Amino acid sequence: MRTRAALVAVGTLLIGYAVVGALADPDLRPTGVLLFLAGVLAGHDLVWMAVLLAVGALLARWVPERHRPVVRVGVISAATVTVVAVPLVLGFGRPPDDPSVLPLPYGRHLAIVLLLIAGATLLTCWAADRRRSRRPAPAAPGGRPPRSALHRPGGEPLGQEALPEGVHDHHGDADQQ
Amino acid sequence: MVRHPHPPVTGRPTALRRLARRWSAPLPAPPGALRRGPLRPDGFPSRLRSTRLTSQLGVALGVAFAVCFLTGLLSHLIQHPPGWFRWPARPVGLYRFTQGLHVATGLATVPLLGAKLWSVYHHLFRWPPIRSIAHAVERASVAVLVAAALFQVVGGILNIARWYGPMPFFFTAGHYWVGWLAVGALLVHIGVQLPAVRGALGRSVVESSQERLSRRGLLGGVAAAAGLITLTTVGQTVRPLSGLAVLAPRRPDVGPQGLPVNKTAHRAGVRALAQDPAYRLVVTGPGGRTDLDLAALRALPQHTAELPIACVEGWSATGRWTGVRLRDLVALVGVDPDRATVLVESLETAGRYRTSTVGPAHVADPLTLIALRLGGEPLHPDHGYPARLIAPNRPGVLQTKWVGRLTVRESS
Repeated sequence: MRTRAALVAVGTLLIGYAVVGALADPDLRPTGVLLFLAGVLAGHDLVWMAVLLAVGALLARWVPERHRPVVRVGVISAATVTVVAVPLVLGFGRPPDDPSVLPLPYGRHLAIVLLLIAGATLLTCWAADRRRSRRPAPAAPGGRPPRSALHRPGGEPLGQEALPEGVHDHHGDADQQ
Repeated sequence: MVRHPHPPVTGRPTALRRLARRWSAPLPAPPGALRRGPLRPDGFPSRLRSTRLTSQLGVALGVAFAVCFLTGLLSHLIQHPPGWFRWPARPVGLYRFTQGLHVATGLATVPLLGAKLWSVYHHLFRWPPIRSIAHAVERASVAVLVAAALFQVVGGILNIARWYGPMPFFFTAGHYWVGWLAVGALLVHIGVQLPAVRGALGRSVVESSQERLSRRGLLGGVAAAAGLITLTTVGQTVRPLSGLAVLAPRRPDVGPQGLPVNKTAHRAGVRALAQDPAYRLVVTGPGGRTDLDLAALRALPQHTAELPIACVEGWSATGRWTGVRLRDLVALVGVDPDRATVLVESLETAGRYRTSTVGPAHVADPLTLIALRLGGEPLHPDHGYPARLIAPNRPGVLQTKWVGRLTVRESS
């Protein structure tokens, strides 16, 4: 309890220091800072998350359950490089007299990186399917059970339980990404 | 009429107690009919979200924020040194490392912050939205933390892309103060959430094998994304990886004389002044004043040093600089070079980085030069022709270009 109280107290002091320091800094327009703080918060919570949940819903609708973990890794990677690269692709920060700033064709590079991510994701899914199809069916004598059943005591396929029909497809994993 | 027949001897504790009671007293819940959309009980049924996942992402994010805060604070102290602060001249590439780490960690934070905020997004739609005043304050502090964290990461990305239009404030000052805000809000958040984190990370947590696999898969995805963004950008400062830096805002070998430029002579407004044959480097000190034209500077003993330009924006590039040692110029005006501070002024008439102060450790260092040449050639105008400061272990903005005046004083 003492640790928690100390953390909250020190944190509150630092917040106070930040506010007083920002107000006293002649280089800073506090209204501009407040505007940007509110802007990134609203932009993330209302716009970015809505897009992300929509992508998650599309994945839940179109990607088979067995491939979702791999596709999820691909989508997280794609989202990350896109967030970092978009200001470079737009190139508003490139001064006309300084070719050493943003010197690369970022649009093309982003497209290549996204294609590589998509290619690696598809390849991984394809390889997993190939492995699965080569394996004998679980009922065959001496055969191993399919991978999706390995971690389930009942051998029931992943993700087909718990939620009533319909809810799973339309909402169940709608926010997975 | 006497309203208070007994003077309130215990008034203060009573008031405090009343305040404390009001602080945590339950507030009336809003009508249930409003519980729609994302506010409904099954609004976010994904089984991927868990307190354990959030806690693990939170710990990683906390470490990343600590690295960014400490390296950022260091960079601030070097640029605005208070009286007690001393920054050494060696190791030569220490600032290059700390600032490269600052930007690389900030970029690797993108997927971490994204996943962390996704994992707690459903809390935004908790019901009832506010249970008590204490609950409202806690939620407001979370909003401050989220806004400050996004401010730092988004602002940092815009800064390295040099796109200042969306930021209606001076970036450097905003990034600095909101850094304190983010760390303060983070400490409050850790204080509030500590029991939940301890519980979620304990060994006794029951988790089905499917939940474990999903959680680990997601953490692996975040790690892969962080690795990918590092791989495609870190080559702007780690030279062996520069070929992979396809999304880096700079390439260490692109620019005049094979070195990037932050401010051109044209933008600094010094093109004419720098090319003027009447150029003199004015050195003043307690022992007098010396005016040196380019021929006089070239006639002084020349030294060559391999030193990096290490930008606050996270890129760096090494050049082979040739020129006069700053300590030799200090000695010309009768000051002991081992106990001197030098104010370096540019030919620029205005600008935030028109001057810089070189402290005793850097003045004394034989690698600190007033450089006249880069890679054996006279300096390109954009690299500071006719003369520029280049010193070891120093941010690029303090490596003053187009140097016109040195004011030497003895350090106490």
